[in-house]
Amino acid sequence: MKKFKYFCLTIATAAIVSLSACNNTPTAEKPSAPDTNSTSTAQVTETTTHSGHGSKEKININTAILSELDKFEAKLGVPALSNKIQASRPYANPEDLVNKKVITQEQFDQIKDQVTVQEVILTGEAKDVDYMTKLGLMKGHLLVAQELLDKNLPKQAEPHIGHPVEEIYVDVEEQLNERKVKEFKTTLVGLQDLVKSNPKNAKVKTDFTASVQSVDGAIAVLPEAQRTKPGFVLQVINELLDSANSEYGAAIADGKIAAAIEYQDSRGFVLYANDLYKGISSQVAQDSPDAHKAIETSLSELTKVWPSAIPPAKPVKTPVEVTQLIKTIEQNSQKVIDKSSTQAQR
Amino acid sequence: MPNNFVLGKEQLFSRRQLLKLGIWGAGFAGTAALWHTLNAHSKSIVKVPPLEIAATNQAVKPMQMLRNFDYGVVKQENGRTVREFQLTAGTSVIQLNSAVSYNVWDLNGRIPGPTLRAKQGERVRILFLNNAGHSHSLHFHGVHPAEMDGIRPVSNGSATIYEFDAEPYGVHLYHCHIEPVTRHIAKGLYGMFIIDPPTPRPPADEIVLVMAGYDVNDDSHNEYYAFNGLPHYFMDNPIPIYQNQLVRLYVLNIIEYDTAVTFHLHANFFDVYRSGMTMTPTEKTDVITMGIAERHILEFAFRYPGKYMFHPHQDAIAENGCMGQFEVITDKPSQT
Repeated sequence: MKKFKYFCLTIATAAIVSLSACNNTPTAEKPSAPDTNSTSTAQVTETTTHSGHGSKEKININTAILSELDKFEAKLGVPALSNKIQASRPYANPEDLVNKKVITQEQFDQIKDQVTVQEVILTGEAKDVDYMTKLGLMKGHLLVAQELLDKNLPKQAEPHIGHPVEEIYVDVEEQLNERKVKEFKTTLVGLQDLVKSNPKNAKVKTDFTASVQSVDGAIAVLPEAQRTKPGFVLQVINELLDSANSEYGAAIADGKIAAAIEYQDSRGFVLYANDLYKGISSQVAQDSPDAHKAIETSLSELTKVWPSAIPPAKPVKTPVEVTQLIKTIEQNSQKVIDKSSTQAQR
Repeated sequence: MPNNFVLGKEQLFSRRQLLKLGIWGAGFAGTAALWHTLNAHSKSIVKVPPLEIAATNQAVKPMQMLRNFDYGVVKQENGRTVREFQLTAGTSVIQLNSAVSYNVWDLNGRIPGPTLRAKQGERVRILFLNNAGHSHSLHFHGVHPAEMDGIRPVSNGSATIYEFDAEPYGVHLYHCHIEPVTRHIAKGLYGMFIIDPPTPRPPADEIVLVMAGYDVNDDSHNEYYAFNGLPHYFMDNPIPIYQNQLVRLYVLNIIEYDTAVTFHLHANFFDVYRSGMTMTPTEKTDVITMGIAERHILEFAFRYPGKYMFHPHQDAIAENGCMGQFEVITDKPSQT
C-alpha cells in the first residue's frame, strides 16, 4: 500500500514537471522555430491529407448546403434526406449519420466514402452556390444600409455596412483571391469608419457606390450562364431566405419587433432574393409553371412582412408564418433544381 | 445531463469526516485512476442545501446554473479520454423584468451557455451548430493551435468541430468571436469553461456566478446587469449555503462596455485563486477587481447564519441588477 502511494506521488510529480515543461516550451521555441506549433498538430495534418488525397469528392455533412446533400438523397432514394441530414446536425463523425438514425447502416455503407466532417474544399456548382450566397448576403446587408442612409439614419445603417466584413468577408476571402477578385475589404471598412465618424460627409455616397460595385464585380466573376440558370439561382435564393428566416425569428419578442438590426438584416436578404428571382422568373414560368406560381405567390406574401426598413409597430406575420412561406418556396424550388440537375446529367 | 457528478444533496457528513477524508485524499491525489474515486468521496462529504427551483421555460435559469456542470460525453479513442460537448446557438427571448423583454442568442437554449468542465490533459471536442441567423463562432480561452481558435465565422445552419487538449487547468471561458464581439457576447454567446487540475481541489460546495450586462437599446451602454442571466434574481432568491461549509465560487466577469467591475462579498473575506490557475491562494480580500473576461476562484465559509450580499462595488452596476445574496443556513447536527 505504501509503495503504491509513493508510486502515485512519483507519477504526480512527473506529471507536474512535464506539464510545467510543456507550458514553458512555446515561449522558448517560438522565436527560433515559429512553424513547429502549427505543423505538429494532428488536426492540420489530417485535414491536408484528407483534402489532398481524396480520390472521390467528399461532402461535409456539417456544412453542406441542401443541393450538395441531394447527391446522397438521389443515391439512396430516400425522400427529404437532405433536410433530415441538416436537421440532425452537428455530427462528430460520419458514423453519426447512423447513430443519430438519419440513415441505416446499410445505407451508410453505400455512401461512407463520400461523407466527411472535415473541412472540405468545395468544387463545382456547390462552390459557386456557396460563393454567390455569401456575396448575396453582403448585397442584402448593403441594400438595407442604403435604405437607411437614404432615410438619413446613418447610425442604423452602420451595423449593416459592418456585417459584410465582420461576418462574411473572411469566409470568402480565399475564394475571392482564387477568382482573382480585387480585395475590397478596405473599401468596406473605410465606408464603415466614415459612416461612424462623419456620416454627413459627401464621400459617404461615393464610397457606398464603390462598395456596392465591388460586391457586384465579385458576383460578376461567375459565368453568365451560371448566374442566369434557375437551378443555380434558386439554390442561392433559398440560402438567403433561410438566413432571413432565422434573423426574423430573432427580431421578434412578445409579438413586437424588438431587435431592429435583425429585422433589417432579414429585410435585406429577402429584397435581394426578390431581385434574384426577377432575373429567372420567366424561365421558371416556362419550364415549371406550377412551381413558378407557388414561388411567386409565396415570395410576394413574404415581401409584405417587411413594409419598410423601419420596423412596423406590429409584425405583419409571425415567425411561424414566415417559416411556412419560406418552406413552400424551398419545396417548389427543389422541383426546379432537381429538374435542371437531371437535365445537366443527360 | 450526461455524466454529471453534481454534488449530492442528501448525504451529509460531519466536518471532521470532511477533514479526514480531505487529508486522506490529498496523499493519493495525482493519478487519473483515483480522480473518480475522489470525486465519489467528495460527493458524500460536502453539504449542499436542497434547492427549490421554480419551473420556468425561460432561457435564463440562474438557480439551476449555480451548481450545474456539463461534463460532456466521455469517449475512449486511441487510448485517450475524449470529452465531447455539443453546443447549439439559437435565438430566444428573455424577460429581464416585468416590463422588459430582450432578444438573446442562446447556447443549448440557455444564457449564459452551459459551464463546460474537463480535466487537464483530456482531449476536448466541441460540436458547434449555429442556428442563430447571423454567423457565429466559439473561441475558447486556453492553449490550442490557431486552427482551433474559433475566430472563423460559422454560417447559419452549419456546424463545425473544435478539438484540442484541455490545458492549462484553470477557470476559462468561451465566447463568440464574430464582430462586433461586444454585441455577440452581450447578447448571450458565452459560458464558463473549467479545466480541473490533475490533483483535485479539496471538496467544497462549488458554485458558478457569471456577471453580465444587457444593452437592450443597442447604444453600447448597459441598461441592466445580472448574475447568471437575470437582474436582481439572487436578491429575491438567495443562494442557500451551509454554515462553516467551504464554498468555492467560480466567478466570471463578462460585462461588456464597462471597463472593469469588482466582486465584493459582505461580512467575510475570501481566498483568491487567480484565474483558477493556482492551487494555493494568492491573496485574501473582500473586494477583487475584474476586467472583462477575467475570472477567478474565490473560497470562503460563513461563520454566522443569515443573509449576506454579494455585488460589484460599482454600486450603480449593482443597483441595476448585479447583486444577490447568500443565505447561510445553520448546520444541523442530527445528520451525523
